[in-house]
Amino acid sequence: MKNQINRRSSLLRMGGALAGLLTLSAAKTAKAAVQTVFVSTSAPKGYDPTKHKWLMCIDDNKCIGCGLCAEACKKENGVPEGPYFRTWIERYIIPKPKPGSGETRGEAIVDSPNGGIPKGGVSAFPEPTLPKDQIEHAFFVPKLCNLCENPPCVQVCPVGATFKAPDGAVLIDPKYCIGCAFCVQACPYGARFLNPVTKTAEKCSLCYHRITRNLKPACVEICPAEARIFGDLNNLHADDPIQKFYEKNRVQVLKPHLGTEPRVLYAALDKEVR
Amino acid sequence: MLPFKLPPQILRLVLVAMAIVGSYFVARSFLVPPSFGQYGWYRGAALAEIASREPVFAGKQSCDECHSDILHKLAKDAHKTLSCEGCHGVSREHGNNPDILPVKSTGSHCIRCHEANLARPTWLKQIVVKDHYGPKCTECHLPHQPTKSP
Repeated sequence: MKNQINRRSSLLRMGGALAGLLTLSAAKTAKAAVQTVFVSTSAPKGYDPTKHKWLMCIDDNKCIGCGLCAEACKKENGVPEGPYFRTWIERYIIPKPKPGSGETRGEAIVDSPNGGIPKGGVSAFPEPTLPKDQIEHAFFVPKLCNLCENPPCVQVCPVGATFKAPDGAVLIDPKYCIGCAFCVQACPYGARFLNPVTKTAEKCSLCYHRITRNLKPACVEICPAEARIFGDLNNLHADDPIQKFYEKNRVQVLKPHLGTEPRVLYAALDKEVR
Repeated sequence: MLPFKLPPQILRLVLVAMAIVGSYFVARSFLVPPSFGQYGWYRGAALAEIASREPVFAGKQSCDECHSDILHKLAKDAHKTLSCEGCHGVSREHGNNPDILPVKSTGSHCIRCHEANLARPTWLKQIVVKDHYGPKCTECHLPHQPTKSP
């Protein structure tokens, strides 16, 4: 009678079951302890990322190069002092062609001192070194994350720390980012940098903490010329500024040949702008 | 059970392989955050975490709660597109407690946009500051109603 139940075997079985239960509960508490790192705290309620699709439009006829957007962005997002910008303004100077060269225009000179934020003085942009009569025209271009539909920065992240949210914002999970800077190199628009304080990658988040609270991004809020227009493709209403922008302008994106399909649309852009 | 006896070295190999695969799944269940894969190949809770930061700029709407008279004037004139906090600075604290005054705006805010610059669009009124009259912009121009004089 091999399978007969006796006191010894039943005690052994009960002990085994108890030990199993204990280790299971211990494992559960241990797992919970490990994962408290990932538990989120106070977030705005009632925001569903799957119900929105954000986009930014930039009317380059309107940009006056005051640098308020870049400055507001730094304040809003706590970007460290120094050459670190989530959004910035570039100045393009197109010189006249050299006489007899057969070119239609000279080579563009691009600068963005301090991201376009005035440092103490009135304007960040110094007088161009070229004399006035040699300049064909000059203009400002605000730059930011281009909200790619196919973001190259997300493809290269080795740890899944950067991602495209369902609402179109390309975001960085600072708890996951290891600061390898692959994404900084991958971004064709130069929109990313390594934060010198946190040592993690950083970029325009479309002011995610603002747009989830029904506020405009700081740069859009502060722009005095309405050069930046922000909207939600999934919830367009009749007199939406986005709609007006589409009707009034012919738009283009930066570096369309890369197939990134940006959702930052520019109107009145020169071909020199990359 | 089996019609043949499993050689002990094979049995050991199978057990070791199972232990390795098993430990992988145990480690995975410990280390993968609960919201991973909620929206895609990333931590879904990160969205809420990024959104949880407090906004800094209060926005024009909150200024409108008390200063609707000024905003009304502003909306009728050339400066209608300007945001309050562009010149008056971050005013969230002022909104919560009116005793905390926002930064006093000065003439540097005017010339920040209106100083002549080649790259500025021509629709914008521009001046060469050193050739322009006056030590103080507000002597002749009202910032909230730029087409009117005081």
